[in-house]
Amino acid sequence: MAAQSLWRLFLRVPSSSPSLTAVATARRKFGMSCRMSFSSENSSSGSGSREFLGLSDEQLMKQCEMSTFKSSGPGGQHRNKRESAVRLKHLPTGIIAQAVEDRSQHKNRASALARLRTLLALKVRNSIDLDTYSPPLELLQILPAKSTIRTSDCGPQIGPNNPKFALGMLALLDLIFAVEGSISDAAKLMGLSTGALSRLVLSDDSLRMAVNELRTSKGLKPLK
Amino acid sequence: MKLSIPRACGSWSKSPPVSTTLHKPISFYSSIPSSSPLKPQVPLFLRPPIHSATLSDLQKWHHWAKTLPVPHSDDPPDPTLLRRELKWLLEDALEVHSSVPQMGSHSDDRPIKLRTSLEQLYSVWRQRIEERRPFQYVVGCEHWRDLVLSVQDGVLIPRPETEVFVDLVGDVVTQNGDLTQGLWADLGTGSGAIAIGIGRILGPRGRVIATDLSPVAVSVASFNVQRYSLQDIIEIRQGSWFEPLKDVEGKLSGLVSNPPYIPSDHISGLQPEVGWHEPRLALDGGVDGIDALLHLCNGAASMLKPGGFFIFETNGEKQCKFLVDYMENESKGNFYDVKIVPDFAGIQRFVTGFHH
Ligand SMILES: C[S@@+](CC[C@H](N)C(=O)[O-])C[C@H]1O[C@@H](n2cnc3c(N)ncnc32)[C@H](O)[C@@H]1O
Repeated sequence: MAAQSLWRLFLRVPSSSPSLTAVATARRKFGMSCRMSFSSENSSSGSGSREFLGLSDEQLMKQCEMSTFKSSGPGGQHRNKRESAVRLKHLPTGIIAQAVEDRSQHKNRASALARLRTLLALKVRNSIDLDTYSPPLELLQILPAKSTIRTSDCGPQIGPNNPKFALGMLALLDLIFAVEGSISDAAKLMGLSTGALSRLVLSDDSLRMAVNELRTSKGLKPLK
Repeated sequence: MKLSIPRACGSWSKSPPVSTTLHKPISFYSSIPSSSPLKPQVPLFLRPPIHSATLSDLQKWHHWAKTLPVPHSDDPPDPTLLRRELKWLLEDALEVHSSVPQMGSHSDDRPIKLRTSLEQLYSVWRQRIEERRPFQYVVGCEHWRDLVLSVQDGVLIPRPETEVFVDLVGDVVTQNGDLTQGLWADLGTGSGAIAIGIGRILGPRGRVIATDLSPVAVSVASFNVQRYSLQDIIEIRQGSWFEPLKDVEGKLSGLVSNPPYIPSDHISGLQPEVGWHEPRLALDGGVDGIDALLHLCNGAASMLKPGGFFIFETNGEKQCKFLVDYMENESKGNFYDVKIVPDFAGIQRFVTGFHH
């Protein structure tokens, strides 16, 4: 059930699942040093993550509500405030990213923003029309050379350590989402064997986790 | 808190607010005589790693520190925060931080290089817990924005709220490039935080004068300015508010200040880390907390050139509203675009505006 409601956010179906935020809060109370969480309130209308990820840090920040964990009391000169933790709520999606582990407010904000980008890429799906689908370049670039839809002008395969991998991963997730988690269907569309696509998915932790979360919610076995 | 113009006016029109300027720091630990030239303390993380201890002795200390009982208090330190501080203390004290993770395994005679002795580590952590000495005084620095600033007894630890000054100045100079080349002043600069933050934004053509009445602040601010190689951009002057600025009257492009703003009778009830250890000169703003702010508002009109920009930090909504009201009524026509800007916690914290 938890996985089900979690995935609803990906679908941009408004749902209320306070449990997710509660879990995050509980974890924070137990002193884990950094946390990413998201809540599903305020799920948005039409925007996919690609639109958000194209924004500059400043523009993205403008879409966020920033708060610190302890905002009660007069603050300022009154407090020796080591809790320079930052919590960003991305208003269009309701996704929350936070950072507490750093020694300055400024750096925590930068870390929270970087985390928000990852979460947006992982959690907010762009819808795909399978009938007219043609894979974007960034997706082709992360596919192994043996893919039959890959053309020579794609260059060598980009691996998880390359910063461009994230964009390709995003496109791949959009597609796997559109075929409801079926690796064999997605593999066909990408001119790959099912095994080759599985290996690609398993090559990156966050990709693997996102795909498996979807598969579990659809009653499919997780990839191992 | 009742804000009364007549009394406050009286104090600035005759002389700077004596009640706030003559307070001696109440810090128990500042034994620095205020007359002799001061040598600033070197923060822990910058000291040479000339000490050493075995890993197992360090582990013993770590265990002791984690379990040292916190004396009863109405306002006890947050245990999570203390654990994080302990980690940061190790980061600063060890030559190689990566030796920290092995803290779990026991009986290890490997020597670890330290920037302070093991005895000192025991003694400073005891001060942190038992005397509520601020962590930043223990390690001698504070991470503020992307800066690491030296601080010590007698100098206010810059607050995260104050980081916003730098963003506000950044915004105003992008809209109005002329302000970049002008002269700025940071009054009551403390560690030099605001001056250094904006000095780096203004770049090589900018100039900032940073002042403070406190000799410790002057020496610490100079240390920090030099550490960031900004001595050609930032000049430190000692004196009360506008006194050291007589030669630049009417010439300032920008005036920024985070002056003491806590009402005097709140000082005794402050969090121990603040009330017991930070200098009263940096906190006490007189009966209503607004003495210094009013003094600054009144001077701003004659110090700023036309189009010049100012930012003042305040105690919150009440002081912000009072100042805006005061500027719009008492000093009519001197300022425009006077605004209240909230801090990250949503508290109305800053008053900004321009001189006509
Ligand atoms: C709240 S602290 C701010 C320090 C620093 N600007 C910051 O934001 O971290 C106020 C500062 O004003 C200084 N101060 C107090 N009275 C002063 C006076 N009459 N003239 C100049 N500076 C003064 C104090 O020494 C202290 O450094």
